[in-house]
Amino acid sequence: MEMYQYTATELSSMLKKKECSAVEVTESVLKRVHAVENQVNAYVTVTEELALKKAEEVDQKRAAGEPLHDLAGIPIAIKDNICTKGVKTTCASRMLENFVPPYNATVIEKLDSCDYVPVGKVNMDEFAMGSSTETSYFKKTSNPNRLDCVPGGSSGGSGAAVSAGEAVLALGSDTGGSIRLPASYCGVVGLKPTYSSVSRYGLVAFASSLDQIGPLGRSVSDVAMLYSAICGHDPHDATSAMREYADFNASLQPDIKGKVIGLPKEYFGAGVSDTVKSKVMEAVKEMERQGAAVKEISLPSTDYALNAYYIISSAEASSNLARFDGVKYGYRAKDYRNLEELYEKTRSEGFGDEVKRRILLGTFVLSSGYYDAYYKRAKLLQKQIGEEFRQAFESCDVILTPTSPDTAFKLGENIGDPLKMYATDICTVTVNIAGLPALSIPCGKDETGLPVGLQLIGAKFSEQKLLNTALAYEQAVGGFNQIPEIK
Amino acid sequence: MEYEIVVGLEVHAELNTKSKIYCECHNAFGLEVNTQCCPICMGMPGTLPTLNEKVVEKAIKMGHALHCDINRICKQDRKNYFYPDLPKAYQISQFDIPLCEHGYVEVMVEGEVKKFGVTRIHIEEDAGKLLHGGESFDGSLVDFNRCGVPLIEIVSEPDFRSSADAKAYLEALKSILLYLDISDCKMQEGSIRCDVNVSVRPKGSDAFGTRVEMKNVNTFSGAVRAIDYEAARQIEVLENGGTITQETRRWDDARGVNELLRSKEDAQDYRYFPEPDLPTIVVSQEKVDELKESITELPNLKVIRYVTEFGLSQTDAETIIDSMEKSAWFEEVVAAKACNAKTAANWILGDISKFMNETGKSLSDTQLTPNKLAELISYIESGKISNAAAKQVFEVLLQENREPMDVIKEKGLMQISDEGALEKVVADVLAGNEKSVADYRNGKTNALGYLTGQCMKATKGQGNPQKLKELLLAALSGE
Amino acid sequence: MIDIKHIAKLSKLRITAQEEEKFAEEMEKIVDMIQNLPQLDDTGALIDPSNPMILREDTAAQHFKRDALMQNAPQTKAGCVVVPKVVE
Repeated sequence: MEMYQYTATELSSMLKKKECSAVEVTESVLKRVHAVENQVNAYVTVTEELALKKAEEVDQKRAAGEPLHDLAGIPIAIKDNICTKGVKTTCASRMLENFVPPYNATVIEKLDSCDYVPVGKVNMDEFAMGSSTETSYFKKTSNPNRLDCVPGGSSGGSGAAVSAGEAVLALGSDTGGSIRLPASYCGVVGLKPTYSSVSRYGLVAFASSLDQIGPLGRSVSDVAMLYSAICGHDPHDATSAMREYADFNASLQPDIKGKVIGLPKEYFGAGVSDTVKSKVMEAVKEMERQGAAVKEISLPSTDYALNAYYIISSAEASSNLARFDGVKYGYRAKDYRNLEELYEKTRSEGFGDEVKRRILLGTFVLSSGYYDAYYKRAKLLQKQIGEEFRQAFESCDVILTPTSPDTAFKLGENIGDPLKMYATDICTVTVNIAGLPALSIPCGKDETGLPVGLQLIGAKFSEQKLLNTALAYEQAVGGFNQIPEIK
Repeated sequence: MEYEIVVGLEVHAELNTKSKIYCECHNAFGLEVNTQCCPICMGMPGTLPTLNEKVVEKAIKMGHALHCDINRICKQDRKNYFYPDLPKAYQISQFDIPLCEHGYVEVMVEGEVKKFGVTRIHIEEDAGKLLHGGESFDGSLVDFNRCGVPLIEIVSEPDFRSSADAKAYLEALKSILLYLDISDCKMQEGSIRCDVNVSVRPKGSDAFGTRVEMKNVNTFSGAVRAIDYEAARQIEVLENGGTITQETRRWDDARGVNELLRSKEDAQDYRYFPEPDLPTIVVSQEKVDELKESITELPNLKVIRYVTEFGLSQTDAETIIDSMEKSAWFEEVVAAKACNAKTAANWILGDISKFMNETGKSLSDTQLTPNKLAELISYIESGKISNAAAKQVFEVLLQENREPMDVIKEKGLMQISDEGALEKVVADVLAGNEKSVADYRNGKTNALGYLTGQCMKATKGQGNPQKLKELLLAALSGE
Repeated sequence: MIDIKHIAKLSKLRITAQEEEKFAEEMEKIVDMIQNLPQLDDTGALIDPSNPMILREDTAAQHFKRDALMQNAPQTKAGCVVVPKVVE
């Protein structure tokens, strides 16, 4: 077995016991990148030299007997909308093709202090807007399980890199499902944390009130380890919660017996494919066998959630992306006669169609005369959705749904149809609207070999409960960790 | 037809905090371009704002000073527009729930106390500066140093009926901002600026006319000129049968005219919405009360009191109150009850101001105290020393920690006012200067000056000159 | 009908006549979908006193050099970012 195939949890223990070195692990992962990257296309930037340098430092520190974090020497891929000092951060956009941040995101500072090994920056939908990673300006990433299919989005590079063994762990960001959908499509574990638990400082904003950085990995324990390293209050992010967090990995234990799992009927409706439904229900049966109690519930506002999501996220995006104007950084159009032309040409040439669509939509819903009908109503609905979840968690420990109505679609299949693309987020957006944590874990594959994912949703700050429930299932099915053979 | 002018003002004041409103950069003026900025105030991707607590506190203090209701639970909003000096392409401001609202301020205008309504006070960030290159360079340069400097915007009701009203209000705001240490109010640095809304209506009418907003008013005297110009322009339009259109005009103070900037149709759609990066502002009631208690008597009310209580002129009152130290000394000298308030005011405006201006020193750097000054003034009033002698004593008291009377005695400055003693001096002088007496009696009245001088000489300068002159005249006419 | 030209202008996006048609059509569909929202009572959802903001202490520090902040600027001169001439 090659080094890159191990989980972070396994590697961490091997490194501690000096059964292998960080350089060996890093070299193995980089070798894998070289072997499969031209088929998978997960990376925008591979930081090979930096990775090896960091790995050497870790080995030296270990040799010197310094106390090291569990993540020390673990190769991690970073979504390309998370600012890395001195390393290009493009958001997969022509607009930021050559943007090199002068500062690190808080999560990067945290991982640096854990001595992680930065493998590189991974592909995504442009400015995280999309569900397939096809809106990237640079390249289309393939699903490692089937190269003619999308990896999901917007953190498609994160999902694909982890799934293909091109990274042991990855950071993604999730505004409406952008960690969970790729996790589900690629067959890995992805956590969208409670809003406010992970600092957004240095995450290039898409929709500030919904965005959250989170981990992707090949096991529940790996995800718990990475989440523990990045969560916590940050004085640089005013929306970050002031609270203490447990070590989620140290407290991780299979715990499902007696837990009440709520199945909201709105998430198992007509739009969900039979395969997904049957795979998810098989997993539910397995959980029942492990001692969980299952309960049907209703979250009636779900039907409107996607609408509220597109209003709120586009409104915020239209404002957040206004700063890309060709003045201070990023792309600037070549020919312009005056300021107005500089703005319009820069933005028209620098942004792709999907980004433009969201900016137009967001500008429209905030424009004079429409604010109350759209934005305000969406915010009121948001409050109601939060209330429905709060009530649901009075009688359930976790809520279980499919992560996506279907398995990964073919590259190019939905690109011309925004509404169809938007519908892939139907199971995930409600969680962002309510600010809740949710975990996507694999629950089998369809007949073509594409993974199916299920989503566990918890009350705010109940990540430990989600992870413990998922671990029980993971152990019952004998683990998720299977890197597909890339043909 | 006779017209009435209606003016409303929007005043922006930069707060004198140590750091900017949303980042740790120094809130400093006049430093080298783009050296007082960071990724946050330059609006780099991924950065987030964190609100400076002193901004909230200073704004609330101003709210109290202007008798506002404090919205201790409020939020911030984004105002979206593109301009090169606005790096995020939105300004973080406050829209529907300002920190303070529904206030008023009482101001003395030409001797009359007037009350002007204050609609709201909100907090927001300043923009950067555009530098326009010379002829050699066809472009503009952006300096981000001012981005994120904290501002409060104080919006008035349309309560001013003349440019004098507006000026008095602006001066009052400035004095309050200085008194409460909220802003340095340095006009030349642009730390206080205003937009002016002007309309006119037939005198006696209740309905408002169409208002015109004027930008680029950078000084208070400029505001007076801008208001008078715009009111005259509107009246002329109306007199010629025209109508006023709602528009924004730019004031050009150098040329003394304004010109159209944009019409109502071009009004920007700012697409305000709640700032998602900043949670709700919640200030405790205790904090709000504490800030209220920290406010002492404000300069605008002091002016009113000095005029009504002490009988000072409005100008004298304002001049004293302009300086916190002068005002404090004035009050203490008056409180000593040794002398007349007007005499005290004259000393503060005269010798004290002269000393402060010439040396650039504060009175606290000297050995003088208000009580000693009061004592000194009382000696002049009671005729114990002359004005000239008092100035000598004053100079000593600035330098040395001594009692005024000790200095007077040591220097022999005590004035002789005893009539018996002075009559003897007069008699002696007249007896010894027969020629001058004769001259005087022959109509050479300037001989009186010589005789007075001789009397002063005889008393070694300590004779009360007024008394001596009276006695001389009596003696000369009596014989 | 959405005035796509006006919205594009507000957004500082230049769209061709061809794009205008495409975006207008897509936007109509999207807006048709998203406007389906329930009518709810205004419960002051935009302000949440249960989650008060922690304010920053007023201390100043300089962490960045000008060169580092200007390194991504498309055009600079005399330590400033350059833009086409603007007058207001």
